[in-house]
Amino acid sequence: MKIKVNEVELDVTPGTSVIDAVFAAGHDVPYFCSQEYMSPIGACRMCLAKIGAPRKDRATNDWILDEETGEPKIFWFPNPMATCTTQVMEGMVVDTISKDVKKAQNAMVEFTLVNHPLDCPTCDKGGACELQDRAYEYGSGESRFVFDKRHQEKHHALSELITLDRERCIHCKRCVRYFEEVPGDEVLDFIERGGHTYIGTLEDGLPSPFTGNITDICPVGALLDTTSRFRGRNWEYHHTDTTSLDDPSGAALRIDTRTGRIERIKAGLNDDVNKTWIDDGTRFGHEYADAEDRITRPMVRRDGTLVETTWADAAREIAERIAGMDGTRIGIALRGDATLEEGVAAKALADHLGSGRLDTAPRPAASVLPDGAAATLRDVATSDALFVVGDPTEEAGIVDLRIKDALKGVEPAPLFPHGPAIADLRLKERMPRKREILTICAPYRTDLMKHAGQAHVPPATSMVDLLHALAERASATVDGGTPSGAWDDALGMTAAEADALITRMRSSTRGVMIWSAFVSNDPRADEAARTFAKSVGAKTLILGPMANTAGLERISVLPSHDRYDYASMFTPETKALFLASLDPAVDPKVADRLRELDLLVVHAAFPTATSALADVVLPAVTGYEKDGTTLNVEGRLLPVRAAPVEAGTATDFTGVVKQLGEAFGTRLEGRSVKSARRVLRKLLDVDAAELPTTGQPLPPVRGKASGARAVREYARATGDALIVPSMVRVEHLDRNPHLRAERGDAALRAHPATLHAHGLTSGDVVTLPIGGIPRQLRVTASEGVPEGLWLAPTLPEQPVGLYDANLAAMVRERSATAEVA
Amino acid sequence: MSILNVAKGMGVTLSHLFKKPVTVQYPEEKAQIQARFRGRHHLLRHPDTGLEKCIGCSLCAAACPAYAIYVEAAENDPDDPTSAGERYASIYEINMLRCIFCGFCEEACPTGAVVLGHEFELADFRYDHFVYGKEDMLVGVKGSKWQRREAERKGGEVELGFQAGPRPELEGVDY
Ligand code: SF4
Ligand code: SF4
Ligand code: SF4
Ligand code: FES
Repeated sequence: MKIKVNEVELDVTPGTSVIDAVFAAGHDVPYFCSQEYMSPIGACRMCLAKIGAPRKDRATNDWILDEETGEPKIFWFPNPMATCTTQVMEGMVVDTISKDVKKAQNAMVEFTLVNHPLDCPTCDKGGACELQDRAYEYGSGESRFVFDKRHQEKHHALSELITLDRERCIHCKRCVRYFEEVPGDEVLDFIERGGHTYIGTLEDGLPSPFTGNITDICPVGALLDTTSRFRGRNWEYHHTDTTSLDDPSGAALRIDTRTGRIERIKAGLNDDVNKTWIDDGTRFGHEYADAEDRITRPMVRRDGTLVETTWADAAREIAERIAGMDGTRIGIALRGDATLEEGVAAKALADHLGSGRLDTAPRPAASVLPDGAAATLRDVATSDALFVVGDPTEEAGIVDLRIKDALKGVEPAPLFPHGPAIADLRLKERMPRKREILTICAPYRTDLMKHAGQAHVPPATSMVDLLHALAERASATVDGGTPSGAWDDALGMTAAEADALITRMRSSTRGVMIWSAFVSNDPRADEAARTFAKSVGAKTLILGPMANTAGLERISVLPSHDRYDYASMFTPETKALFLASLDPAVDPKVADRLRELDLLVVHAAFPTATSALADVVLPAVTGYEKDGTTLNVEGRLLPVRAAPVEAGTATDFTGVVKQLGEAFGTRLEGRSVKSARRVLRKLLDVDAAELPTTGQPLPPVRGKASGARAVREYARATGDALIVPSMVRVEHLDRNPHLRAERGDAALRAHPATLHAHGLTSGDVVTLPIGGIPRQLRVTASEGVPEGLWLAPTLPEQPVGLYDANLAAMVRERSATAEVA
Repeated sequence: MSILNVAKGMGVTLSHLFKKPVTVQYPEEKAQIQARFRGRHHLLRHPDTGLEKCIGCSLCAAACPAYAIYVEAAENDPDDPTSAGERYASIYEINMLRCIFCGFCEEACPTGAVVLGHEFELADFRYDHFVYGKEDMLVGVKGSKWQRREAERKGGEVELGFQAGPRPELEGVDY
């Protein structure tokens, strides 16, 4: 429909808000409370403009004409209107620049500042503050206030991670709406009313895994990231727009650094992937990168102790010691969040050494690449039938949020030239959610289940049977046949429920099935899941265990034979090992094996149990300091860019290969990011150097995925300890003090009855050998865990899955009661 | 050019020969500094509470055309605050080699914490001697780093080579 903004005439789609029309016309109105991706509510009244529209004569249904001009007469609203909550109308006229409007805007700025403390010099938002900017642009420049302002708490810790300054709050309600509308955890609200209104929580703290986003969206300095409190002013930060290597969702990040330290991480905008949200593990889990004990120089073992040396010397040492060694006895392993460039480098090194023993860890038994194209995150957000097997909240937080988008049933709005719609009028506060479209299966109660229409908690050992039974039933009914019922006992739900799920998935046009490690770890379960998805016609999204597991599989950073996989590296067959950012020595049996190696090279950012055994330690960069490329869960190639962090001579794995190549006297492919990208161009037909920040979908591989291991002797997983995915990376917890203070130590979760049976209480700290790895964990009672099962968070060295817990060898390090005393 | 003009010119020279010389026998004699002279910075304190005025806001650093100032802030311990309010400068450094003594920092400061004083005897030997920290600029510290080192070596007081008139902005600074 045609409208006019000031003198600009433009065509907009019906339903557009006036504020978006104004921006689309290239004009500007100030606003505080509207936020892309959240409901417009008209709380701040900052976006005022004069609005008028022609009117039709009721009797004749013709436009009422202006007698002088003969054009339709414009009837102006008596007062300026909030443009964010007004919809465009045919022939509407908007005025954002006349004197009246300026006066109204000016008055609104003044009113907003009535109780604002104006302590910009000490405010961490200063310099990047919407209120500051609007006051500068639209304010009168001087104050008429002589009276005392409202006084409220200046630094209230909403949680260990977020500081609230109640004086600065302008009551825009963004943060309150955010929690209800985005993660669906209502943990914040207004308390009191009028000038006394303040933001607060009911219980202490913010029990939600997505709290940090409110510090990004608060238009003033009321909600601030505690990890960066007073660390720098906004104009002093160096911004790096990159992609998260924390989980496979590929969320856009902005890393703010100052004098070689990461001071904070904010969410970047990627409309297709994370919108403007990231999870707390990603946002607050960066402090480890600046930890005191970073390894900054190569070290070589001389007379039993590691001594610092130069790269050239370390590389020479390695070259000398593997000269003449049988290549097949050398192993190379990367962690699954290595970039594609590092993968190329590792492959080049393996090729040069003649070793097929190349792998990434953790890597599930089944492929993490879908057959054909993966569902995109947009597919998830617009899906009308979702079947989730696993715990996406912990595995890839963004997937959790996109699932919640789907429950609202509002299609993502097309982008305007100014970006996402500022006020999408279809979004409402407290929208009804279509819970019935979501079915979740997981071996324990997950956080997402409270949003699901149907949730099933089958025993951890029978996930495979459940999927098998479902697949059986779905395939049998493809052509309207009747299922045999042979597997019905294994369904873990009633046959009617299973049929309802199958019918719902099959009859939907945009069904998506999401699964993760609980399925991928078992080749049979994976096969069943794929069969099920195919027979109900659902797209699939497979969550890999690490950020780039899928990408590394895609470019075949894989062993040449299954028997050369990561596990084989700890058998007497191997003589030399290169381990990048992995710490297998947390398992004492593996540690013994590592001691027997002729050469152990560890590429690590921090001292670990494994680096303590190494012959050569090479300094590594963290995921924030790399240039490279990653492939996210939906098959989108995304750029990873290096933030300037002070880490001595640390490099990524391409740097290792460069130095080794020089020591070998040859130039290996993948000796630099640039050279690795030449290889990638051949492999994937894309120029990784040219990727936009928002990435680019990579066409899927044809045919069967390559990473699946052949099922030779199939063993059903058993055990009483379930290693579960964790949004908070446990291996970094010690070096992430703020995150640790908020989210607590690594938890051993069990049903209260199980704890009681073992004489444990919530809060006890125990060391429990799980699958041979002694894990120090804090006991936590949780009703959501099936009785008899122990839940512990994953480590890169201990992938998600079932293990045996050696309860007899459990040691109680500290008891909860002793701590109180 | 006439002889007369030459004589006039020489006359000026001649008349100055008999005037009192303006040369100051610095450093034997103290130089008289004008009140508005801009020399080495002082970091002031609130005279009543003794708390530092600086709140570590970095606005001086932002205003500095020579990128001479580096500030790092930290949170005050409420029981033992360093400055008034929530925030103080845990590191405050000015590189006197970069500084052009323009006074922009003084102008930018919202609390009147950094004020350019009269000290100009900043010559020193090593690069890092020119980076002045809080301990070198907080009110009460007299003299440049070198002058203070000399005074300590000789076991005497810092001797400033100038005297200056009072300036209200330099609250609590005593030359
Ligand atoms: S705390 Fe910030 S986001 Fe929340 S209502 Fe106040 S100003 Fe708005
Ligand atoms: S006087 Fe000028 S150059 Fe010197 S520190 Fe201040 S602002 Fe910078
Ligand atoms: S001296 Fe003034 S401008 Fe500079 S940091 Fe301190 S308070 Fe801010
Ligand atoms: S009223 Fe706040 S943006 Fe319109």
